[in-house]
Amino acid sequence: MAREKKMRDPVNWRRELRLAPGYIILTLWVLFTILLLGWVLAASFSTTKDIFAGNTLKFPTGLHIENYVKAWVNSNVSQIFFNSLFYSLISCSLLIVICAPAAYTLSRFSFAANKAIQTGFVSAMGVPVVMIILPLFGLIANLDVLNHELSNRLVLIFLYVGINVPYTTIFLLTFFANLSRTFEEAAAIDGCPPAQTFWKIMLPMAQPGIITVTIFNFINIWNEYFISLIFANSDKVRPVAVGLYSMINGMKYTGDWAGMFAAVIIVFLPTFILYIFLSEKIIAGVTGGGIKG
Amino acid sequence: MKKNKGMILAFMTPAVLMFTLVFLYPICRTVVMSLFRIEGITDPVSKWSFVGVDNFVKLWNTGLFRISMMNLLKIWLFGGLIVMSLALLFAVILTSGIRFKSFFRAMIYLPNVVSAVALATMWLQYVYNPRFGLLTGTFQKLHLAALADIQWLDNDHKFMALLFAYCFGMVGYHMLIFASGIERISPDYYEAATLDGADKKNQFRYITLPLLKGVFKTNITMWSVTSVGFFVWSQLFSTVTADTQTITPMVYLYMQIFGAGNSVTERNSGLGAAVGVMLSVCVVIVFWVCNRLLRDDDLEF
Repeated sequence: MAREKKMRDPVNWRRELRLAPGYIILTLWVLFTILLLGWVLAASFSTTKDIFAGNTLKFPTGLHIENYVKAWVNSNVSQIFFNSLFYSLISCSLLIVICAPAAYTLSRFSFAANKAIQTGFVSAMGVPVVMIILPLFGLIANLDVLNHELSNRLVLIFLYVGINVPYTTIFLLTFFANLSRTFEEAAAIDGCPPAQTFWKIMLPMAQPGIITVTIFNFINIWNEYFISLIFANSDKVRPVAVGLYSMINGMKYTGDWAGMFAAVIIVFLPTFILYIFLSEKIIAGVTGGGIKG
Repeated sequence: MKKNKGMILAFMTPAVLMFTLVFLYPICRTVVMSLFRIEGITDPVSKWSFVGVDNFVKLWNTGLFRISMMNLLKIWLFGGLIVMSLALLFAVILTSGIRFKSFFRAMIYLPNVVSAVALATMWLQYVYNPRFGLLTGTFQKLHLAALADIQWLDNDHKFMALLFAYCFGMVGYHMLIFASGIERISPDYYEAATLDGADKKNQFRYITLPLLKGVFKTNITMWSVTSVGFFVWSQLFSTVTADTQTITPMVYLYMQIFGAGNSVTERNSGLGAAVGVMLSVCVVIVFWVCNRLLRDDDLEF
């Protein structure tokens, strides 16, 4: 509504002039961001020789799409890409199945441990990962699951889900708390048992919150680094962040800079595309749920 | 309520179980581990030997660990100052009624959704590159030879380079929190202040800042939590494993436990656990101090 009103405002030049320093600062910052991303994008279509000659933005030899083909096929970017996609999608779905019922219960029913669980979850969001990583590694390594491809993947998914449970639950909790209770009352009068009310009525109504938190979880898991570095035991199971790191190290030696930038862009694209379409939702979600400010 | 008992149990169990497995139990175990000498990380408890606070004393006497703590402190303090001032400045500009607000906001937040590995690579291989980098190129065009010749990634400049690159990515998140805080302040205050003849500067000093106390607290806490986990950027910016310019406690722990590099003097997982406990204590202290200093319960708005 506010935006519509602003659109109809005629340009008030005196007012805009007063805001000029603000425009200049933000524009410079944004220009730098665009330059940074744009140059890397250009470099990924260039050749190593042109990059070194300083001709990255001129494309003297045309667009080199083969950088992407090489990175995708030869350097196994496809492998890490699909690994991450697979981990992220499965973990995000599991997170909703696990956290949505818990969040709903915490927001609606009073029981002995309710407050304690909420406090625990909120505190867990501030726990540094170093505080949990050693016992987790010790225990999981003892189970002899890291040496088999499938079980190694399952361990990664288990951890991605685990570390995101507190955040997801608290985010959805605030969301459910804002939903009106009249729906449940109506359902109860019609004789619908509470569990069914949740799955059939409340969960669909929480869809906007679920979508937002899933976007965040997807971005978090896609970009996750430390846990993957420690628990992904072979090249085959590595997600993008760790895979990209070892690839960059490798390409520095082989000198394929254009290919390296192509790999960077491929890893960067999924979250970037998600962001282009959903930036308003993401930004509203940063300040909306989870943390109180 | 009684008939809901089964449902509560069924709905809560998976989440609580995950929380216990991934957070509660490991946290307790880390605290216990920090008091023991543990040869291998997978050793059963029977092989642990109790040493009390020895691990902490030993860590404190290790030069490399002290350096890593100093680096972390510098990142937290200087990075914090840079990020908070820029974030606050941007938030104030964004909420001052400029056009294209959503565009600016979205662009500034953008680095936060990008993989840190990809972002750090962009900085390392483009901005700081000595052959075709942005900084070198720009300074050459401006004929500032002295600045163009600076090797941004040598030992004298590496830390600064790392800090700026890291801060660039962090500003957006804290800006959003500040901006939402400013937007929640009722415009009535500013209207009243304007009527009373207060200029913009004084309005910011006497209305905005005091009312943002709680938001500052959130921002500082979140900044501390992310700083403590400082790892990826270090790893990408260091060429050798024990780089004194960029090492942070988390990198130190990784070297100690997961054995990358030859600087490991002693295999002892207890030391690693002690690093974790120390970092967590730091976060708790920051949180506690913030709560003491920035009490916002006396302000209702």
